[in-house]
Amino acid sequence: MAASVRSASATGRSSAVSSSATRATRDAKRLGGQRRAVLALAAIVPLLILWYVLTSVTHTVSPGRFPSPHDVYQAALQISHGNGYAGGTMSRQVWQSSKLVLMGFAVASGVGVPLGLLMGWSRRAEALINPAFLLLRPIPPLAWIPLAILWFGLGDGAKIFVIWFAAFVPAVINSHTGVRNLDPTLIAAARVHGASPPQIVRHVLIPGALPMIFTGLRLSLQASWTTLVAAELVGAILGLGHVLIVASLDIYPGMILYAMIWVGIMGAAMTKALGVVEKRVIPWRS
Amino acid sequence: MFRNVKRAFRRSDQEVLALDDVSFEVGEKEFVAIVGPSGCGKTTLLRMAAGLDFPSAGSVLVGAHEVAGPGPDRAVVFQQFALFPWKTVEENIGFGLRCRGTPSDARAAIVARYVELMGLQGYERAYPQQLSGGMQQRVAIARSYALDPDVLLMDEPFGALDAQTRVVMQEELIKLCRVNPRTALFITHSVEEAVYLADRVVVMTRSPGRIREILDIASVRRREAWEKLEHVEEVMDLESFVHLRTRIWRMLREQQEGAAVPGVPAQPA
Amino acid sequence: MAQLVASRRPGRGIPSAPELAALSVAGLLLFFAAWYGVAASGWVPSRFLPGPQVIAEMIDRLAQQPYAGYTIQVHTLASLKRFALGFGLAAALGVPLGLLMGWYRWLDDLVTPLFEAVRFVAPIAWVPFAALWFGTGIGGPILIIFSGAFPPCVINAYRGARQVDKVLVEAAQTLGAGGLRAIGEVLVPAALPSIVAGLRVSAGLGWQSLIGAELIVVSSGVGYLMVQGQTSLQTPIVMSAMVAIGVIGFVIDVALRALERAVRRSWGDQG
Repeated sequence: MAASVRSASATGRSSAVSSSATRATRDAKRLGGQRRAVLALAAIVPLLILWYVLTSVTHTVSPGRFPSPHDVYQAALQISHGNGYAGGTMSRQVWQSSKLVLMGFAVASGVGVPLGLLMGWSRRAEALINPAFLLLRPIPPLAWIPLAILWFGLGDGAKIFVIWFAAFVPAVINSHTGVRNLDPTLIAAARVHGASPPQIVRHVLIPGALPMIFTGLRLSLQASWTTLVAAELVGAILGLGHVLIVASLDIYPGMILYAMIWVGIMGAAMTKALGVVEKRVIPWRS
Repeated sequence: MFRNVKRAFRRSDQEVLALDDVSFEVGEKEFVAIVGPSGCGKTTLLRMAAGLDFPSAGSVLVGAHEVAGPGPDRAVVFQQFALFPWKTVEENIGFGLRCRGTPSDARAAIVARYVELMGLQGYERAYPQQLSGGMQQRVAIARSYALDPDVLLMDEPFGALDAQTRVVMQEELIKLCRVNPRTALFITHSVEEAVYLADRVVVMTRSPGRIREILDIASVRRREAWEKLEHVEEVMDLESFVHLRTRIWRMLREQQEGAAVPGVPAQPA
Repeated sequence: MAQLVASRRPGRGIPSAPELAALSVAGLLLFFAAWYGVAASGWVPSRFLPGPQVIAEMIDRLAQQPYAGYTIQVHTLASLKRFALGFGLAAALGVPLGLLMGWYRWLDDLVTPLFEAVRFVAPIAWVPFAALWFGTGIGGPILIIFSGAFPPCVINAYRGARQVDKVLVEAAQTLGAGGLRAIGEVLVPAALPSIVAGLRVSAGLGWQSLIGAELIVVSSGVGYLMVQGQTSLQTPIVMSAMVAIGVIGFVIDVALRALERAVRRSWGDQG
């Protein structure tokens, strides 16, 4: 969902897409929670039953290829107790990963958003910074992982560095677009009413760009999460990605699936949390 | 055509009656306009004739058959033009013919005829977005006419146009209807437009939508020889025209004062 | 626009085009100068940060002598082949699915919950299963590219289909178009701009996922080249591979941008 917004902001046609996004959510609300929940169950429950039947009753799917529900349960038990698995219990692994994502994300948005705003506000700053930015942008964040490991080793530093790259780009682009797409008459209106430049920035520019800024932050957060998992897969001593790769080497499908479920849960939880913040910060956006 | 039509909508758990017991008929090759305040259900009536909406009670008949769905025998001209932006003017006009399976040379001939009739020469290869609103609506009208439909349904076709273009289009439509008379149902909120174009004008009230009165314009037009005058403003200057217009305005005003009763829910058109 | 920009910052004038161009050039020069300067100054061991000239030489060498089994061209080609397969599959399945979800309500109701359930699993997290199911075969990376590229294809096609002006569909119906024709001649073209925008995002994510996959599960490709460079502590090789990845990513993006423009032109957009 957020992914398409990135494309729109890059082509400068965000207004059309964001309005469609709000329309889509409105549609979703009109559907009514109950009906949706029933249909969701109708779609998911048969699949879970199918999973159980194929792996545990008919044994059509071999346990070496895909785990049965029981395998996943066993894996969950193992990693929750004692020393856990791959260097720690699941709560420690999840905490390790979340901590790094939040740190990298905070640093990236702390630098990226102001930079994007500056580039949107001043054509000169944009002209100066944009070329170097465009040069680095096509390199996907995952491609920074080997370099980061060379520079910082397998510790937290490398991860934060890579996450920083992942989260930085969307934060800058969308803040930039947010300011650029601001209705110029709003700025004119502020000036007519006697606002000074700092007042314009504080009362018009930043609030006006906030919806796009949040779009950027959402993308940043998702990119951070993906990148971190990848970085942990490539080299780490703790974390969800580390669990995944160790389980993969141990050929332990139950643990793989259990770790994947946690990757999904944490990804969803972070996005939802940001959504809550967004609603608080931008109450005027229905 | 419309027989005791009722249409109710559900709106936040309560039934709202949008149309109540509406009956009227449009004669063969007759041009009927419906005027009424927004929310009187006039657009809903037209959509029922088109087969895009259905009555909760009563029936909508075209010829001897009840309307079951949209079909090329009843062409619709929409207020928003509804041209396909990815098709050229020619392709838009020819779309219905292609759906019907008309061979391409016959299709080209028909398209060319309507391009000429609507004054669209030179724009055959243009895309709708490259045309002005007036030109776009010409394309839409041509697209409907090209199917040679029995019935022409027009939903505020000039509502999105500026005042001057609107007048030009009204005159063109009158000319077109003289050359190619069709059974036509025309929705508008402009009293002048209705009186100028229609043989009969149906005046509607709202909450719920009912017919207030049906006025016969054709007899007045014949008697006063409006046809002899070329321009809208000349017709509008005639005493007979002013008289009819004022009568309709009075009806609309009466009901507006009537509708100002608190607690009467507003309804969409 | 220029007028309004000027009025934002009174007294400082509108930056002229040559001034902006000069600033852009200065920005680029500054970037390379800083890189070169830091590398040459010796603050950072050149083992860690080789200068731009070293990278240029290294790319040239990699093009002639095989490293990690192949020359850089062969690695690149291997990556591109995987990308084309994975991305092609994602587009071929995702776009029709999204369109049909937008057209048929029941399909939407059925698929959306499943989709939502797996959406937040990062594509790269499929790596272990990819390895388990396909070993080092071509299926693994394709699965990972697919899981990165598939969602944007579906979502944008779906949104494009939902966004179609209802009046256009009704117009087609009143003109006598049946279900299939309405899908083919109204739904698809109307959703096309959104579909193409989705393809562009999808290609970007697919390319990035491929690199991730190549870091772990395969033994050729630019990602593999990079990992080999890393394990043998060859920073210039890692950075050369990054340049290659960046260039290809850029070319893919430019190609899809061109496609987007072409689509918009066929809509009669003059811009």
